[in-house]
Amino acid sequence: MEGLYLFLEKNSIYIVMIIVLIVWAGVFLYNLKLDKRLKFIEKEMKEGKK
Amino acid sequence: MSYVIIAGISFPIVEKPEAWYHFPLIPGLGENAKIIFFHVPTAWITVLAFLMSTIFSIKYLRKKDLDDDGKSQTALELGMVFCILATVTGAVWAKFTWGEYWSWDPRQTSIFALLLIYGALFALRSAVENEEKRATLSAVYSIIAFVTVPFFVFIMPRIMKGLHPGSADDTNAGPVVNFKMNSNMYLVFVLSVVAFTILYFWMWRVGSRSLNIKEKLLKNYR
Repeated sequence: MEGLYLFLEKNSIYIVMIIVLIVWAGVFLYNLKLDKRLKFIEKEMKEGKK
Repeated sequence: MSYVIIAGISFPIVEKPEAWYHFPLIPGLGENAKIIFFHVPTAWITVLAFLMSTIFSIKYLRKKDLDDDGKSQTALELGMVFCILATVTGAVWAKFTWGEYWSWDPRQTSIFALLLIYGALFALRSAVENEEKRATLSAVYSIIAFVTVPFFVFIMPRIMKGLHPGSADDTNAGPVVNFKMNSNMYLVFVLSVVAFTILYFWMWRVGSRSLNIKEKLLKNYR
């Protein structure tokens, strides 16, 4: 852990990369939630047709 | 895109091509200065999303259209997501610049309070069964909660002493306040803010439409 911290302190562009990945993880999680919602809609519509 | 094309064509023929990617780095921050392209837009989207939620809450209260409640709810969800992102990216940045992930700086305290205020709204929403009642209650709460946003985001961190750029004791000597982005950095920053705003509106449209369809389906089939 200490080694990683020192590495990041020296190569701070990787900190920027971590920040970008965190932001994309947030966007990804929201999209995952949307995907779940759409799945639910598809299921309900199928059941409604029967 | 046009910027990329122009840059790509002119890169080999201009006199000093290095000038295209030259960013002035803030003393003491180094490459970390580039985090500004991602950390600031998330905070901006938080304010924008909460503002939109308030606008649609007012609209709901005037017209009692449940679609407006769905739009307001989606803006709230996205505001919460970006608020958490701003907090987490800020904490990581703080670890490498201030030395600690969390040091109860006025800016961190105020965003934490904001998270609690809006977190309570989700608890309120999940506690009420009746749709209209839920929509009315959350619209009123959202409007009242937004009153605190300018205070917590723009006023409190500026009148108190702290570590975050723009605090009260960050007098003209601070490297960050005196620091001016050059035109390259400014262009990337503006592009990033615009791109995040477009991304937010896209996510909000997809989110609110799917939420409203889901609500209607639930109403029809039950």
